[in-house]
Amino acid sequence: MAMEAPSETNNANPSTVSTKKNSKTKGKNNDFEFCKVCKLNHNQGRRHNYFPNHVKSLSSFLSRFQTKISDVRFFLKNPSLLRPELASRNRFWCVFCDSDVTEQGSSFACENGIAHLASADHLKNLKSFMWKHGGAMDRVDHFQVSEADLAKYEKKCISMKNEGASEQSRRALIGPSNDIHNELKFDYVNNFDRNPISFHNSSFPNGVLPLQNHTNEKYQVSQSDLSGGAASSTSSYDNKSLLASNAKRPNNLRGQLRNGPGKTCQVYADKREANGEVSSAGLLKLTQISSTVHGMDAGNVHSGAPPPWFDTTNRIHLDPAPKPGKEMDPVTKTVKSKLNPKRVGAAWAEKRKIEMEMERRGVLPANRFDANWLPNFGRVWQSGSRKESRKEFEVEATKPPKDEIESDSSLQLQPYISKRMRREANG
Amino acid sequence: MSYLLRTLKKKEEVDSIIRDTIDKLLVLRFGRSSDSVCLQLDDILSKSEREVSKFAIIALVDVDSEEIQVYTKYFDITFIPSTIFFFNAHHMKMDSGSADHTKWVGAFHRKQDFIDVVEEIFRGAMKGKLIVNCPLPPERIPKFQLLYKDM
Repeated sequence: MAMEAPSETNNANPSTVSTKKNSKTKGKNNDFEFCKVCKLNHNQGRRHNYFPNHVKSLSSFLSRFQTKISDVRFFLKNPSLLRPELASRNRFWCVFCDSDVTEQGSSFACENGIAHLASADHLKNLKSFMWKHGGAMDRVDHFQVSEADLAKYEKKCISMKNEGASEQSRRALIGPSNDIHNELKFDYVNNFDRNPISFHNSSFPNGVLPLQNHTNEKYQVSQSDLSGGAASSTSSYDNKSLLASNAKRPNNLRGQLRNGPGKTCQVYADKREANGEVSSAGLLKLTQISSTVHGMDAGNVHSGAPPPWFDTTNRIHLDPAPKPGKEMDPVTKTVKSKLNPKRVGAAWAEKRKIEMEMERRGVLPANRFDANWLPNFGRVWQSGSRKESRKEFEVEATKPPKDEIESDSSLQLQPYISKRMRREANG
Repeated sequence: MSYLLRTLKKKEEVDSIIRDTIDKLLVLRFGRSSDSVCLQLDDILSKSEREVSKFAIIALVDVDSEEIQVYTKYFDITFIPSTIFFFNAHHMKMDSGSADHTKWVGAFHRKQDFIDVVEEIFRGAMKGKLIVNCPLPPERIPKFQLLYKDM
């Protein structure tokens, strides 16, 4: 702006339009600003918000933060105690406030994070972010925690604290049994005498077993839900590992199957089931331990559930998914113009196309049509428009069919002779 | 043959395919997969599906299905296979010199016949015609007798 003033005063031209233009372009060139969403310096001013690239990256930016928030929301619904050694890992970066929310000194997982999301400062920053980058204001609710939720959470926390006191004392007796790896090792040792295969090395990092035999002879599945989840989903790594440690008694299910002569099928599976009831008839020597993790019984490889990383990527890809549709609009419009506007059902097609687009975007419910919907159909013995024959059919359907037959029986029966047949017969 | 093409067994499926096919010709074959003439037609349909895929969608409708009965009644389907054409949810008729303009009854003699018919109907629809003349010579149109109200 400092450059603008002298340029205007210097240009004492009678053609004010050109000077205005000049100053405008100069002003535009001068104030570059950094768009946090696009990670880009630009001099477009507010115009930048309407660029398709910005819109696209904004939606992926928000959806990425949404996944983070959904992790926090999990703890909002199910408050869980945070062990002090994990506190440093359980933190999150608030993109709206540009601040790191740590959990040092909090006794519950994501306690500070939840408090931050509910704070007035966060709301202010969030609103200014949305205003600056052109986000939808109605999405503000997705990125903050309401007061009612916070109150509920605090109530739960207090009750948890009371319970926690007794639990802590119990845990002190057992020692740090939360370590899954130790527990796994322990179980292997227990199973030593029963296992036909001897373990040479009982310290397995991450609970993954080395192959004891050649794979062409034996089929071995070593699957660990907990470690798999932590390793694969990097985005919610902290939370997953937290969950893992919060699983007080991971359900350890292992068994051995003998499949035919000479073939051993070995299945190791760490399953987290809601109530810890395992009823796999095929597995022998089950060690059943109940687990207290809620909401994570989404299944695993064996139950055909999608791998955990699918969720996060899907969510990111789903949000920009309607984008191509939006960008396609001008393309389809050009195609549309190529088609004959007088083609059959042109008006209907245009209407339906818009409807389908809205259905795809989730604005309209998918199946809004009546179950008794019928297309227009010109019937064989019908004269008049095709709509009439549908109406006639609907009347027929409601009428009892008996009197219809009676009224028709008086008519003479004649095979149909088409115009063409008649013409051919004559000529 | 029917496994090569989408088979509709519910009224909603038929509804939605009619509604969701936009600016393309929808070919609905009503019949049952155990019938020999249907098999012959299905073979032709499945073989030409790819070739007409830019302007037509082909689907099979199982007439034995309970939920389809309303459509078999509405479309007056008395012979199988019967093939019905839709464009933008509008019924397309074809004057093939046979009794029934509303549908194609029977199988096609060869693949090219089917493609010709589909193309002719599509061209007619794009010109705003609700009924077209059959491009096939009469000897390649299956003959059948239709009695009023099927009595």
